[in-house]
Amino acid sequence: MEGHADPGLGPGTLAVSSGPGHKGAPSWAPDGDRIAFITDGYVVDGSVDTDGVRRWTTKDFGAEEAEWTGEDSLAILGGSPAGEPGTPRPLYRGTYEEGSLAVEEVSTGIRAMSADPEAETMIVAFEISPSKTGLAALRSNGEIGRVFTDVIRGVVTGISPSPSGEEAVLAARAGGPEGPYDLHLFDLRTGESRRVVSLGADQQIFGTPQWTEHGIYYVGGESGTSGSEKTALYNLYRVPTDPDEDQLPQPAPGVGREFVAASVQASPNGKRLAVIGRLNPNSPINLYVLGLEAQDLDAVTTNEDMEIKTGPDDLDWSPTGDGVAIVARGVPSGEPVVRGAPAQALLEDFFNVYEVPVSDREMPR
Amino acid sequence: MREALFWISGAAVAFLLTAGAFLMLANSGTGPAEKSLEPGPQRTEQGPNLEMSLDEDRLATLEALPNQSLDVGVENTGDEAVSDVNLTVEVYSENTALSDARYYRRTVEELGAGRSVTVNFALDLAPLVETTTPDTPELPRRIVEIRARTPEGVSAAKTLILPL
Repeated sequence: MEGHADPGLGPGTLAVSSGPGHKGAPSWAPDGDRIAFITDGYVVDGSVDTDGVRRWTTKDFGAEEAEWTGEDSLAILGGSPAGEPGTPRPLYRGTYEEGSLAVEEVSTGIRAMSADPEAETMIVAFEISPSKTGLAALRSNGEIGRVFTDVIRGVVTGISPSPSGEEAVLAARAGGPEGPYDLHLFDLRTGESRRVVSLGADQQIFGTPQWTEHGIYYVGGESGTSGSEKTALYNLYRVPTDPDEDQLPQPAPGVGREFVAASVQASPNGKRLAVIGRLNPNSPINLYVLGLEAQDLDAVTTNEDMEIKTGPDDLDWSPTGDGVAIVARGVPSGEPVVRGAPAQALLEDFFNVYEVPVSDREMPR
Repeated sequence: MREALFWISGAAVAFLLTAGAFLMLANSGTGPAEKSLEPGPQRTEQGPNLEMSLDEDRLATLEALPNQSLDVGVENTGDEAVSDVNLTVEVYSENTALSDARYYRRTVEELGAGRSVTVNFALDLAPLVETTTPDTPELPRRIVEIRARTPEGVSAAKTLILPL
């Protein structure tokens, strides 16, 4: 069933997975062929060209996030009961060598991570104390490459490096897990951090803020707003990083005043944003691409009756910027459903991972 | 006059020969031969073929309890009889991290061409061990996968997804 187009999302869309299982958090391999994702708490990867998936962990693993750190290695965060963003968790390294998969724990107390498969490194935010977070660069084998001396006063909940790997944007809750959100710019060359803005106590950041050439973009909203499905009323915000500009969050230009954002990710060269959201609170959820220079918003999917997952990690750009992986299913009816095929061949009845083509392939960075 | 008749009859013969040659070429051309578009008998497959059906009106009455009745209709829509049709029913969770499953099996010894049979299964649809996580806030649905297969490899499958 893999590779079949799904008519509910638009032309050119290809299925990476099929069958039962709650899938999420797709991560595109650096060679662009395979996509790793979480299914019911365990890690698998698959491609549109092959049937079935390859399982990396035990089924009771409790994985929350997996990112490629090389052609045949994954960094896996989780392995414990899921918690709020920023909750310290073990970090594992999964490797695939000579047809054999192996998973080993490489660190504990990791609050957030971001992998760079080209450089075969990852930046991790680790717990120093309940209200302080340190940053370190790890090699793909888990060895520590560098520990940065600057300490973030708060609980880091997300990291997004720049395409050059010289800077990273951090979201942190000042003072502790319940504190107000700050946005930091971390210079990975000098190891110095700079707080860009502090949000009000009633504002929260949903997911990981994104470094772009045109400032920091993030999905935010009032605290207490449900982050699930149709009730989410988050907006897309932009914070300029140029010290000469007023560094206050403003609604992102180009998406329209009524746009409701759910999740966002910057493209590999940082010039575009993939955004899952609605044009207005009553329109269907779709995948959009926002060109940051021209401030033009293009609908990439043409969804009418599919339910696109809106979790902060439920989208990922292809390494060349010519596709985005998303997770979607048909809207459940609540009634018994009969299908004329084995369960493993079914697509729309379960959350599955799809490759959605995006025009304008990007030049390698 | 005789000379004119000779030329006219010669031209007529030449015309007929040429026309005949064209007709022969047209009939023996390389295009595909015409096929009869008359449809064959409906629903009859060459060789044995199985189709399954479920009484969809009764599915809404299924509950998350033991001893739930499920009728599975099996029809041989082919033109040959089949024997030893193995019917298997597997009940498991939509949550693929759970390995718990319940299996049921029945055999239909003989099913003639064009014949059908209804096989009843008493399924235990009581809850399997279910857990939810923040990523899967809704209770996983129950999957009932029904397969029919003969030793010769003739098969059919149905999947029933129950929001129990």
